[in-house]
Amino acid sequence: MAPPAQSQRSPSPSQPSGKSEVSDLKLQLRQLAGSRAPGVDDSKRELFKKVISYMTIGIDVSSLFGEMVMCSATSDIVLKKMCYLYVGNYAKVNPDLALLTINFLQRDCRDEDPMIRGLALRSLCSLRVANLVEYLVGPLGSGLKDSNSYVRMVAVMGVLKLYHISASTCIDADFPSILKHLMLHDSDTQVVANCLSALQEIWSAEASTSEEASREREALISKPVIYYLLNRIKEFSEWAQCLVLELVTKYVPSDSSEIFDIMNLLEDRLQHANGAVVLATIRVFLQLTLSMTDVHQQVYERIKAPLLTLVSSGSPEQSYAVLSHLHLLVMRAPYVFSSDYKHFYCQYNEPSYVKRLKLEMLTAVANESNTYEIVTELCEYAANVDIPIARESIRAVGKIALQQYDVNAIVDRLLQFLEMEKDYVTAEALVLVKDLLRKYPQWSHDCIAVVGNISSKNVQEPKAKAALIWMLGEYSQDMQDAPYVLESLVENWDEEHSAEVRLHLLTAVMKCFFKRPPETQSALGAALAAGIADFHQDVHDRALFYYRILRYNVSVAERVVNPPKQAVSVFADTQSSEIKDRIFDEFNSLSVLYQKPSYMFTDKEHRVPLEFADELGNLSIGEAANNVVPTQMVEENDKDLLLTTSEKEETKGSRNNGSAYTVPYDGSSTSVFASQAQIESAVSNPTLAGHSPQASFAIDDLLGLGIPATPAVPSPPQLKLNTKAALDPSTFQQKWRQLPVALSQEISVNPQGVAALTAPQALLRHMQSHSIHCIASGGQSPNFKFFFFAQKFEESSNYLVECVINTSSAKAQVKIKADDQNTSQDFSTLFESAFSKFGTS
Amino acid sequence: MPVAASAIYFLNLRGDVLINRLYRDDVGGNMVDAFRMHIMQTKELGTCPVRQIGGCSFFYMRISNVYIVIVVSSNANVACAFKFVVEAVSMFKSYFGGAFDEDAIRNNFVLIYELLDEIMDFGYPQNLSPEILKLYITQEGVRSPFSSKASDKPIPNATLQVTGAVGWRREGLVYKKNEVFLDIVESVNLLMSSKGSVLRCDVTGKILMKCFLSGMPDLKLGLNDKIGLEKESQMKSRPAKSGKTIELDDVTFHQCVNLTRFNSEKTVSFVPPDGEFELMKYRITEGVNLPFRVLPTIKELGRTRMEVNVKVKSVFGAKMFALGVVVKIPVPKQTAKTSFQVTSGRAKYNAAIDCLVWKIRKFPGQTEPTLSAEVELISTMAEKKSWTKPPIQMEFQVPMFTASGLRVRFLKVWEKSGYNTVEWVRYITKAGSYEIRC
Repeated sequence: MAPPAQSQRSPSPSQPSGKSEVSDLKLQLRQLAGSRAPGVDDSKRELFKKVISYMTIGIDVSSLFGEMVMCSATSDIVLKKMCYLYVGNYAKVNPDLALLTINFLQRDCRDEDPMIRGLALRSLCSLRVANLVEYLVGPLGSGLKDSNSYVRMVAVMGVLKLYHISASTCIDADFPSILKHLMLHDSDTQVVANCLSALQEIWSAEASTSEEASREREALISKPVIYYLLNRIKEFSEWAQCLVLELVTKYVPSDSSEIFDIMNLLEDRLQHANGAVVLATIRVFLQLTLSMTDVHQQVYERIKAPLLTLVSSGSPEQSYAVLSHLHLLVMRAPYVFSSDYKHFYCQYNEPSYVKRLKLEMLTAVANESNTYEIVTELCEYAANVDIPIARESIRAVGKIALQQYDVNAIVDRLLQFLEMEKDYVTAEALVLVKDLLRKYPQWSHDCIAVVGNISSKNVQEPKAKAALIWMLGEYSQDMQDAPYVLESLVENWDEEHSAEVRLHLLTAVMKCFFKRPPETQSALGAALAAGIADFHQDVHDRALFYYRILRYNVSVAERVVNPPKQAVSVFADTQSSEIKDRIFDEFNSLSVLYQKPSYMFTDKEHRVPLEFADELGNLSIGEAANNVVPTQMVEENDKDLLLTTSEKEETKGSRNNGSAYTVPYDGSSTSVFASQAQIESAVSNPTLAGHSPQASFAIDDLLGLGIPATPAVPSPPQLKLNTKAALDPSTFQQKWRQLPVALSQEISVNPQGVAALTAPQALLRHMQSHSIHCIASGGQSPNFKFFFFAQKFEESSNYLVECVINTSSAKAQVKIKADDQNTSQDFSTLFESAFSKFGTS
Repeated sequence: MPVAASAIYFLNLRGDVLINRLYRDDVGGNMVDAFRMHIMQTKELGTCPVRQIGGCSFFYMRISNVYIVIVVSSNANVACAFKFVVEAVSMFKSYFGGAFDEDAIRNNFVLIYELLDEIMDFGYPQNLSPEILKLYITQEGVRSPFSSKASDKPIPNATLQVTGAVGWRREGLVYKKNEVFLDIVESVNLLMSSKGSVLRCDVTGKILMKCFLSGMPDLKLGLNDKIGLEKESQMKSRPAKSGKTIELDDVTFHQCVNLTRFNSEKTVSFVPPDGEFELMKYRITEGVNLPFRVLPTIKELGRTRMEVNVKVKSVFGAKMFALGVVVKIPVPKQTAKTSFQVTSGRAKYNAAIDCLVWKIRKFPGQTEPTLSAEVELISTMAEKKSWTKPPIQMEFQVPMFTASGLRVRFLKVWEKSGYNTVEWVRYITKAGSYEIRC
């Protein structure tokens, strides 16, 4: 136990401030320590209680350590417990004083009362002081042999604690093999269960270094051990049963009759009152039958009722955990729950996290037979008071529409949403209608009639606005006033804060122009001009690209921007089936709730090291540089490695399909490449590139703008940096403390740089492209602080930089430290040149 | 590993630590600050009970005015962790005499420390059964203040009981009068559409038992469920007695029930724990008898007036009656004035929950009282802001009625000393979430 919360947030006046009370207690404890008067135990109890209560609310009472130990000589078990508690809490911070307690704890370990033996042993092992481990071995050894199961149970856990304090002491004392013996022979099931937990942990940790340990770990899931545990499973406590069941999932039976034996043995566990046992059993069933398709289906049928019971009983948190698992199952076997969809209807008072999962379930189980009921129910939620849930349910309707073939009824519903005249409903519905049209262009007539009636002024959310603008561009020939709506949107260009919307606006105006040139010409001019002057890089680039391609040839432009489209048949799935399989393998764990495999959230390299962040004050670690990238890379690798060729082709196919289609829609970098490729092919074929006389008039006059020249930057000097430099935060800190400041200067930040520095990440990425890596960053506009590092190419010479930027004064204070002082000037120039390009490149 | 919790925290609503226990060193001491900063002080609170912050996962639950937070650093078993918290809370409640809140924790912190040590060791759940724990956790809750003696020494053999084969019952119990109380408590969940069709309806029931029996008795319980009856008639090779049988969708039992025998013979046989416990839980979706029908008509007359008519029909036997019936009829926020006419009970407007609350203390079967109300609204500038109608909700208890139709056919007690027992059986049906859209 570590000290409780350091301080009370806002202590109420009645709470003692600490100091004087503590010295008071000290005095009183001293008086009582030697006393043998009757009733002394009662007054000791009161005092101890006070001490513990101070400890609990966060007052430091560690100064009483000596007195507490003195008072511990008592036969009163209540007093003893409080004393153990106190000692356990402060031993870690007072290792010297902890030595004082060893004596009486060891004595208590030999007490005739098993209760006291157990408690003392537990406290002894919970001291967690590394240099006291030698005193643990003896009591633990005799504790494991104790005649009383309570003591043995505590001792087994004590071995595990010892292992975590000092692995070598634990192994040297040969405790694991004693545990193994106990596990297989002890009469008490809780002792057996604790042995199992301890051994699993110890051998898993040892397996990486010792072959014997990995053999032992394998032996845990061998037939004799598994059968031994399974045959006794009913004697175990409910928690221990979970433990055993977890182990059984790792066991590989030799043949199918063995599988059936195990399932028959465990079937009644599905009726256990403890939901955790039921879920663990379900996992065993699912894992065992993975290779037997028919039986696997029967298992789904069998586990359905218990799962539905778990959803509807227990606290919302429990249903949440169960629903997450149901969701995973339903993704694999949607038909299983399709007739039970009514179980997923939301109750009015349920918390939103449960409702959200239920909505996902409803979406997943929808099929031909139940779609009508489900959509009707979802529409009820669209009018829900809880706005996020209302949105989710509209999205759910949309998802169902996109996965069904018979969508007539659903389209009507969606159009009704548009007429509900609630901003958020309209917004969500617009996005859905857009997706729907991409898949079912045949509905355009009905939809456009309704969409045309929506005033763009009532649509504020970027996603919805983008969807509306996309439809205006795509169906401008069917919408009377499309050019005029677009024109008014272009007029308000400056008030449009979302770059996504501006990108869409550019594309939509272009499309509209191809269809109705005379009406759109002025809007197009204004849009391109505004776009080129836009400070957002993508908007600027796209506007420039459109401008240039229009100047080159209008009909080529049309083929690039508005080519004939195919309806999207399948929208890309966000998660690969391999990832899903991995999650399934980790059924009944956090992976299912987070919807990602455990390595993504438990491996050290994927985590943000909190401790370091603390030491550097409120700076956050340079995530972009250190953490996120590896995760993505791992994911990418995983996908590539795991994908079978056929699937690879499939994903490629759909990706191409998507990008060809999204060229005008989302303008991601890939689509720009795709369109550039198209231009090239068009250019190489001059016969095609005939001017369309009607559209090409006065394009040149549209814009009276020159293209802004990139400012000249000093050329970098001859210092090569290692592009893959690596430095861990602690080394950085150490170096930063050791090295003197080699150079300190002030650099001015160019205006583009100031504009681009809305968040620290922007600069991180930029500097990284110049082989200068960020180790920590933080701050908010206008003050930012960065720590960078770089390494010399093919040498292990480091440069460390502290850079404090104030965007309002456009100045940066730079401090450079270097292993090699001679080259620090060169590095400084390099840094400055890289820095000056920020925002311009 | 099922849980391997690294730490458990009890916080009040402000985020102050009431009590905490760090089981493992693999999480830092600043975990509780992370929880406060990233969950409690943001809108995230209540949006999801499981969150990951900096490599640690937080599971949290609110119980009255206390947050219980479990911190884990590995890929833990969430269902198990939440179940553990629920069980722990019910154990605390049984120690504190029913209440579990901030005050109870503050008044019993020493006891809680002790219990936390016993129920979990190094992050692994140990024994959570209150019956057993009470044998050797000697400090009692504040309910009865310290008596200096009596509880000083643990009852001999207590530690053997902790983990014995019949973990839930200790030997040597003696009662002068041997009695068993059986309570069948059902809660009906209903969701009815505005057109009066049942969208969703189910019953979750539980059988609560209170045993005051000497020795090690063997009990056998017979219900009128279909499978059990069929099995019985097969075994005795004579036709089942006529009468209503019901089909249970799913059943779970207390760990004392011999599940092997349930599966082979379909009888519920068990050695009960002493005192009160939940013997079984079941769920039924087919053939549910709804105790009440609600027929609402709500008319919006213009922008400032509404007319509400609600008729509630009781459809259980005329000799029975429901208690504590409450009908909550939602009205818009801008309600200014209401006037009522009820044929039974009393009604009033509750502005705090925006509802007309109609209470009927005693509601006989086969009757249909009505409420008609006029609601005047303050006219608001926001036009067209149509009102999203929440459903009408109902609360009730109907004694001696089971919505599922479940009946206890027999309860046999067998003990080697052959004493006589008195068995008491009660039925009650309560409203779960009983919602009628309007």
